[in-house]
Amino acid sequence: MKITFVAADGTRTQVQAREGDSVMHTAVQNDVDGIIGECGGSMMCATCHCYVDDGWTEAVGGQEEGESDLLDCAASEVRPTSRLSCQIRMRAELDGIVIHLPESQL
Amino acid sequence: MLDLPIAPLDETITIDQLTLAPYPIYRRLRAEAPVLRVKSVGRTFLTKAADCKFVKDTPAIFSSDDPNTPMKRAFQAHTLMRKDGPEHMAERMAMAPALMPKTIQEVWAPLYRRLVDVYLDRLPRGEVVDLHKLLSGPIAARILAHILGIPEATDEQMIFWSQALIDGAGNFGWLPEPFVISDHANLEMDALLARAVERVRAEPDRSALSVMVNAENPIPMSQIVANIKIAIGGGINEPRDALSTIVFGLLTEPEQLEEVRRTGKWGAAFEEGVRWVAPIQASSRLVLEDVEIRGFRIPRGDTVMTIQASANHDEELFDHPERFDIFRVRNPHQAFGSGPHHCGGAHVARRTVGAIMLEALFERFPDMSLPDPGIVMWRGFGFRGPINLPVKLG
Repeated sequence: MKITFVAADGTRTQVQAREGDSVMHTAVQNDVDGIIGECGGSMMCATCHCYVDDGWTEAVGGQEEGESDLLDCAASEVRPTSRLSCQIRMRAELDGIVIHLPESQL
Repeated sequence: MLDLPIAPLDETITIDQLTLAPYPIYRRLRAEAPVLRVKSVGRTFLTKAADCKFVKDTPAIFSSDDPNTPMKRAFQAHTLMRKDGPEHMAERMAMAPALMPKTIQEVWAPLYRRLVDVYLDRLPRGEVVDLHKLLSGPIAARILAHILGIPEATDEQMIFWSQALIDGAGNFGWLPEPFVISDHANLEMDALLARAVERVRAEPDRSALSVMVNAENPIPMSQIVANIKIAIGGGINEPRDALSTIVFGLLTEPEQLEEVRRTGKWGAAFEEGVRWVAPIQASSRLVLEDVEIRGFRIPRGDTVMTIQASANHDEELFDHPERFDIFRVRNPHQAFGSGPHHCGGAHVARRTVGAIMLEALFERFPDMSLPDPGIVMWRGFGFRGPINLPVKLG
């Protein structure tokens, strides 16, 4: 399955993802700039903030418990489509998902 | 799993060697024995980046709650640093609002800018001064006192308490003297905190103490006090050592300094400094069940030590890791750790030392120089940094 990351400057990068991996993990494994994921997916650092593309928000679903507290810690503007990418696990329905990246994570 | 050998035992490495010059030892261990029981420390050393990250990211197997450390004795309490799961999360989130970027941007960064001006103003020009002692330590103490909600504490008090707690928590020989000193520090902190609690009750602000005390469902007062103390013990050395390390790096690499000044990429200098010499070099985790690492069986009850100092020099991730090099394209260091205990002060450190102090310092003293880099002494096994930084401010 595939994920397309759209950087803040519009650059698109498509990468292969494995089912069950998080979007954060996939980005880090593929050296996608714009996702840091410093805490490894423990919802502690807010450096994997992303915006789910409007066409995919329904398939992705809502925030996990505690996620909004951490999103308050994100460096860039939080929007209704904001998620921590460590909390989005890849599954068949998300194949082809488009993820927008914020200006900054730190 | 039972068939696997346990990790080899080293009986030669001493704590003195690790305190004076750990990096050559870690380079050897990464190549020859990345999983090694080190007798003098009584821990299993993990020196590869992937293993350090695996341990920190797997709290179900590697617990922070190691009852065999002197930390509880030094703090007279069980702090969030040594808790796991929901209990740790609840205590951490109680303090988190004071440390988040929004609060830093609105409250702490403007305050820090003013404090930096004051602390830079009083540095004497034209002579050699110890920047580590005159600036790095005091400014770290001052901003921390404000963030925690105890601005009435002096820099000297903050620095004394911090060191007393660190020495007590590191008193693995269980000698009486360090605990006498940490007990004294606890008495002073308790007295000051009792007054500060009343103040923030009457006049709430955005400090850690205030948000904890005035929360809708506050955590127990004993834990509020304990966690303010852990932040005192763990919030001065790191920004202090980071600042001194980065200044040393930039002054000994003039081309890099020139480039940072031209481009304003102080953030890259900050990240490289904490990678190069991580202020917190090692962390312990208690093993809750038998687990395999690199073909060795790590038995339940063992204590592993992730050496993030070594992870940050792992040749698999970093070219010429021993060099301070702000031009690295990628810098996936573990200086702030990983997992549930990822440094709570990371945003503050980046947005004060990284985003404000470095630029202000080099702007104020553009001709600052390090007349003799050779006399700068580096020390520390658990915590590490220069212990002096004699610069000429010009």
